[in-house]
Amino acid sequence: MSPTATSAEPLLRLENVGRTYVMGEVSVEVLKHVNLDIRRGELLVMVGPSGSGKTTMLNLVGGLDTPSVGSIWFQERDLAKARATELTAYRRDEVGFVFQFYNLVPNLTAEENVRVATELSSRPLNVDEVLRLVGLEQRRDHFPSQLSGGEQQRVAIARAVAKNPELLLCDEPTGALDFETGKRVLRLLVDLNEKLGKTVVVITHNVALAQVGHRVVHLRSGEIRQIDEVAEPTAPEEVVW
Amino acid sequence: MVGLSMLDRKLFRDLWTAKGLLLAIGAIMGVGINNFVTLQSAHHNLSRAKVEYYQQCRMADFWIDVKKVPLAELDAVRRLPGVLEITPRVQFKAVVDLPGFDEPVNALVISMPDRRQTVLNDIVLRQGDYFPDRQDNEVIVSEKFARAHRLHPGQTVRILLNNRRQELAIVGTALSSEYTYALGPGTIVPDPERFGVLYVKRSFAESAFNMQGAANQICGRLEAGAGTAGDETLRRAETLLEPFGVFQATPLRLQASNQFLSNEINGLGAIATLSPSVFLTMAALVLNVLLTRLVRQQRTVLGTLKALGHTDGTLVVHVLKLGIGVATVAGLTGCLCGHLLSSMVTTLYRQFFDFPELGGRVFWPIHGLGLLAAYACAVAGSLQGAWQVLRLQPAEAMRPEPPQRGGSVWLERLRFVWDRLSSDWRLVLRSLLRNRFRTATGLFAAAMGTGILVHSFMLVASQKFMIDFQFYRVTRSDIDVMLEAERGDELLSDARHLPGVDYVEPFLEVACTFEHGHARRKGSITGLVADARLTTPRDRSGERIIVPEAGLVISRRLADILQAETGDRLRVTPVKGQRRTIELPVARIADSYLGLTAYAHSDYLSRQLDEGPLISGLQLQVDPSEERRRELFRDIKRMPAVQAIQARREMIENLIESLLKSQQIMIVLSITFAGVAFCGSMINASLVNLAERQREVATLLALGYTPWRIGALLLRENLITSGVGTTLGLPFGYWIAWLTALAYDGDLVRLPVVGPWWVWTATIALAITFTFAAHGVVQRQILKLDFVQALNVKE
Repeated sequence: MSPTATSAEPLLRLENVGRTYVMGEVSVEVLKHVNLDIRRGELLVMVGPSGSGKTTMLNLVGGLDTPSVGSIWFQERDLAKARATELTAYRRDEVGFVFQFYNLVPNLTAEENVRVATELSSRPLNVDEVLRLVGLEQRRDHFPSQLSGGEQQRVAIARAVAKNPELLLCDEPTGALDFETGKRVLRLLVDLNEKLGKTVVVITHNVALAQVGHRVVHLRSGEIRQIDEVAEPTAPEEVVW
Repeated sequence: MVGLSMLDRKLFRDLWTAKGLLLAIGAIMGVGINNFVTLQSAHHNLSRAKVEYYQQCRMADFWIDVKKVPLAELDAVRRLPGVLEITPRVQFKAVVDLPGFDEPVNALVISMPDRRQTVLNDIVLRQGDYFPDRQDNEVIVSEKFARAHRLHPGQTVRILLNNRRQELAIVGTALSSEYTYALGPGTIVPDPERFGVLYVKRSFAESAFNMQGAANQICGRLEAGAGTAGDETLRRAETLLEPFGVFQATPLRLQASNQFLSNEINGLGAIATLSPSVFLTMAALVLNVLLTRLVRQQRTVLGTLKALGHTDGTLVVHVLKLGIGVATVAGLTGCLCGHLLSSMVTTLYRQFFDFPELGGRVFWPIHGLGLLAAYACAVAGSLQGAWQVLRLQPAEAMRPEPPQRGGSVWLERLRFVWDRLSSDWRLVLRSLLRNRFRTATGLFAAAMGTGILVHSFMLVASQKFMIDFQFYRVTRSDIDVMLEAERGDELLSDARHLPGVDYVEPFLEVACTFEHGHARRKGSITGLVADARLTTPRDRSGERIIVPEAGLVISRRLADILQAETGDRLRVTPVKGQRRTIELPVARIADSYLGLTAYAHSDYLSRQLDEGPLISGLQLQVDPSEERRRELFRDIKRMPAVQAIQARREMIENLIESLLKSQQIMIVLSITFAGVAFCGSMINASLVNLAERQREVATLLALGYTPWRIGALLLRENLITSGVGTTLGLPFGYWIAWLTALAYDGDLVRLPVVGPWWVWTATIALAITFTFAAHGVVQRQILKLDFVQALNVKE
């Protein structure tokens, strides 16, 4: 747990959240009856097999989508009832995203990919420091096509962190990486949580990664089956998958 | 890139990455803007010059040609309601005898006040003085004529005037708005070497032509905004002058020079809107295809940017900026090229139209409008892409794009056809039919490009046909001699004995008024001898029409004006002689592209007019050798009573040379513009197609297809698109050519609408050439494709 780890005060509260997608005549209930508090300063891992609703959960928490039922409370605001412009502001000011396939802008250098986010923020971190934090200060002028997968993911993390958000949401951050690189990225996320006090949510299908979090949420068929408290999170270097 | 936002940096790099495609679109847009600026600038230049020139010279609103009217009788005309002022003058045709220039030179001699004063149809002095009054026989000559013959103040010029050889002392050169387009007898393009306007003192003209205290032409101005009331005023003035033998009453709109100039300005105005619209529409459509593709290609990036917190508005502006970037470059280039081209067009116009000032001014509002049009086109072309951005859900956008909608196309229902097609053909047809918008854009571009080619080629063919029809089939004489007044046929014998003359045919020209029902028009009847060989009216198919022994053969244009058909009887009132109205039947309607012609048997005509056999002129067939022609010209100039001489060979040469220059420029530009339309659109569509199907193409390569076979697939698509588009464009081009002919349809000249085989063959050949040229660019891209990397592109 980070030194500035939370009290029990939640950063986000999901109350009876559900999400149904309607595709023509077919309705698919992807999430149902989700009740969850995301605590300030914790590293929360959500695990579940493919189709369990992990990404949908991330999208709802990140303001990329709105629930069909229920409420998502952030600082006394219900994101479920927020307008598109309010959700945009929420994503801009409070959330940083890290995606499985990095989603960098191909025509911008590493530094510029970070700056495309800091230009939006009203209280960004120093770009040079963030690049140093992720170990890419020597590669700042390289384009994504000139970086390895791990380096690209670190740029994506730098971009997410540089906005100085409250919440960092990571969708399968190691999914496209090899074992060793994946561990290095995981270490970075843990450091961000411990040293910068960021609330980090990681979703993964890889159960082995659950050990690094403070809590583990198990998802299956769109429902939370179990939430485990991890007394002693494992260091990323010791994780094996 | 210091100071630019990251999104703008991305924009610049995106533009650079897609530079080939954007260049293609930019070229189409640039041509559109270029056309707009060129044609609008030329239109403004000409329009402005015309207005200023007419004001400067106090251009008249009407001209009435009479036999002879005492000046005292003109007060009644001056007092007519609607008439502001009149200027009476004396004018006559003459033949000019220039040493060292054997060919006949015609002139129009016009009287000007002895002292400088305000008159209608005034002159603008270019060199020398206005009648310094040192001699009676002072003359101011038209500037281009003087330049053609290196005439300057201080020199003399000899003319055959009223049966006498007169030497005139040149005191100056001048221009007049009345002869902005200075046409000699029987021509349709100016020929400054063979026709000039000579301005003499009124006192000299009165004396030379026995017109003391009289005039034979009245120029008048009407009150401002007269409109159709002006025609009524003109009719009343004509009625007042009838007792003095009115030959012709011409409102400004029918005055020869003004007609040609106004037609040209109007034609320019129409095409200045139509042509750019076509290109800008094409550019917008092609840009639409590209930007829609780019947005789809960047959906993950755009979704991520939305996820980061960029607003919809920011991203829509970002997409629009792509199009605006293209528009800025294309617009500025188009404006610059347009300005340069408009200077060239203006120079071309100076050849035909004599203005004191016809500069290539920069009209900043036109350039501004051109840029605005480019931006409007860019925004229109970017709208769909922008709409897609708005609709993009970030969560969905960051998932891989689902595979393209599959399913069969309608053609597959025709099983007897579909089952016989190879896989390659099925790939090609499915691609065309599934991407309907892109295919439709390609069809549109091909059709427009084809239309441009057909239109230009048909214009050339029409001009060639008109010259051939009018000057090789209808009129077959080598020399035409017009006499000052009708004479008996004793001149025939003199003419037959002229050196080099093989054959002579007389003709009788009777100026008259035609009436049929409520329709009325002034014109003339040309009386031809029986079995005339040198003037042979023709029908539409070119077949000769034998002038019957009784009745008239009238031109189609005249028949339309009088609403007359074969068998109708026209009321004809000659302006000379007894001026008794007679009725003459319309025996046949002939086709003619010059003037309002009417023919009759000269004997029949003379009988109807109760006159003996008279001739107004002679048509000669002559020995073609240069020496004999020189001798002939020398002797003709000495013949008494000769008013004008027309040498057909020189006239045709001048016509062809004048038209050829403008045709060459027009053809080059048309082919260039059509090429841009074809190639720009095709390259864009093919490269977008290739980008979308990179994985598919890479898979085919991995399977064993060669790059050339892959290229052949795309070529087939392009050939089908351009084939169908060309087929649609052929009738479209014909229609535009027909509209153009309609726009230039006038009493003085009409354009036929002809489409000889070479028009279609050349167009199709060029369409195929452009298609293959565009494909060359695409094939190069296929050869450069790194298909291993393409196979690893994330789905």
